[in-house]
Amino acid sequence: MNDHTVATVEELDDGDRKLIELEGREVALFRIDGEFRAYTNWCLHQGGPACEGSVTGTSTAEFDRDDLQTDLQWCKEGEVLNCPWHGWEYDIPTGECLSKEGTKLPSHPVEVNDGEVIVSL
Amino acid sequence: MSQAKSHALADTTVVDTDVHITVEEETVAKYLEEPYRSSITDSPHAMFPSSSWDQRMGGKIDDHFSTFTGPEDVQQFQSDFDIDYPIINTFEPLGKFPQPDLAMSLMRAYNDLLLDQFLDDYDFLGLAAVATQKPEEAAAEIDRLSNEDGIVGIYIGTSGEYPPLGDPANDPIYRAAEDNDLPVVFHGNGDEFMFDFPHHNKGFNNYFEVQTLGHPWQQMATMSSLLGEGVPAKFPDLNFVFLEAGIGWVPYMMHRMNKIYRMRRSEVPLLEKSPEEYLRDQFYIGSQPLGEPNTSDDMKRMIETLGADMLMFATDYPHWDFDHLEELDKYLQHYFTDAERQKILYETPVEAFGLSV
Repeated sequence: MNDHTVATVEELDDGDRKLIELEGREVALFRIDGEFRAYTNWCLHQGGPACEGSVTGTSTAEFDRDDLQTDLQWCKEGEVLNCPWHGWEYDIPTGECLSKEGTKLPSHPVEVNDGEVIVSL
Repeated sequence: MSQAKSHALADTTVVDTDVHITVEEETVAKYLEEPYRSSITDSPHAMFPSSSWDQRMGGKIDDHFSTFTGPEDVQQFQSDFDIDYPIINTFEPLGKFPQPDLAMSLMRAYNDLLLDQFLDDYDFLGLAAVATQKPEEAAAEIDRLSNEDGIVGIYIGTSGEYPPLGDPANDPIYRAAEDNDLPVVFHGNGDEFMFDFPHHNKGFNNYFEVQTLGHPWQQMATMSSLLGEGVPAKFPDLNFVFLEAGIGWVPYMMHRMNKIYRMRRSEVPLLEKSPEEYLRDQFYIGSQPLGEPNTSDDMKRMIETLGADMLMFATDYPHWDFDHLEELDKYLQHYFTDAERQKILYETPVEAFGLSV
């Protein structure tokens, strides 16, 4: 496994991302809630550039069986990555796909050392 | 059937999930409230609309339908077709009636007739007719029928239904069905194609085209609406049964809805798993009219895709496009294990309808 210094901590604010190429692979570094995550830019669906997609929230819903009302809510603002090809949603903190259980973006270990962000590949 | 019961059938208990009793308009009129009773008995204007398509092609296909009216006809059918447990319904799709109160009155009349003439004095299993024009009244009817012996589900024609059947307006019906442990049975119809697809009904030049699309389009619209509105997620203990569109459309819908769900999940946030998982957990499919591939291996693969936990046998007797048991059973006996065959002919409908047989 090779370590790559890909950014400085100051370079990315919360909600930012940086696309880099490591050993011939496209990787995206995300900063969210102060933490860094690195994923391969490859959607599990059809190989689209998932990490280049929009970052949004998403919808959740609860159904009240007594009054038969559905309560729609917007949640996870800034934590949902949408693949630009077909809209597959990924949870940025975990890499998990929201619409296909057990599916995760390929992730890479990230360490912060002396103000530098290091991704291992 | 003139031949003796085959050995395999003699050893198998068979549930038929779709048997229609023919109810003449004058017969149901006796159970109707006024003013609707007189609309049938005293009015020259036909209350029951018809598309005027000739389904039996001028008599080339025999009419088993008109005379299939009484409990003795059902018993004869059981004997002739080796059916142990026919699940009977009064067939008439009620979504086509524009007057809500008439539809409600017809719903109650068909159910009273079903109880009076078929269930009270015989061991038949039956489905309670439900009209959706007034969902709270329909829910009350489900509550009324739920304690009657022999009622094992509710029956909704999928033609003429507006709004589409997954719409939240229908939730009182689904809640009542779930509360009373009754599955919801959806049934497609050919003659009523004109209500949902009037332009195509007018544009097609023969009934071949209508019959090809009528039932599957209605059933697809219903299944799509149910999943899109999250109905199986809202009512996780409710079973859904689809009759009279065959089986080939189900893998298509299952896989297509998976694909669209994964692209548009946030639009249907009540769904907590893939459409295929909901279908496999809560949905059941009647076999009739079984498609007729030129290569029997193709049907084997289709049945395998559905699986014995979802597929149930149905004849649709006495309608002109009914399936004999042999039609499905030739595949089951040739390609599948005895246990799988037993599930499709008996155990899966017992589970779907919660039968005590």
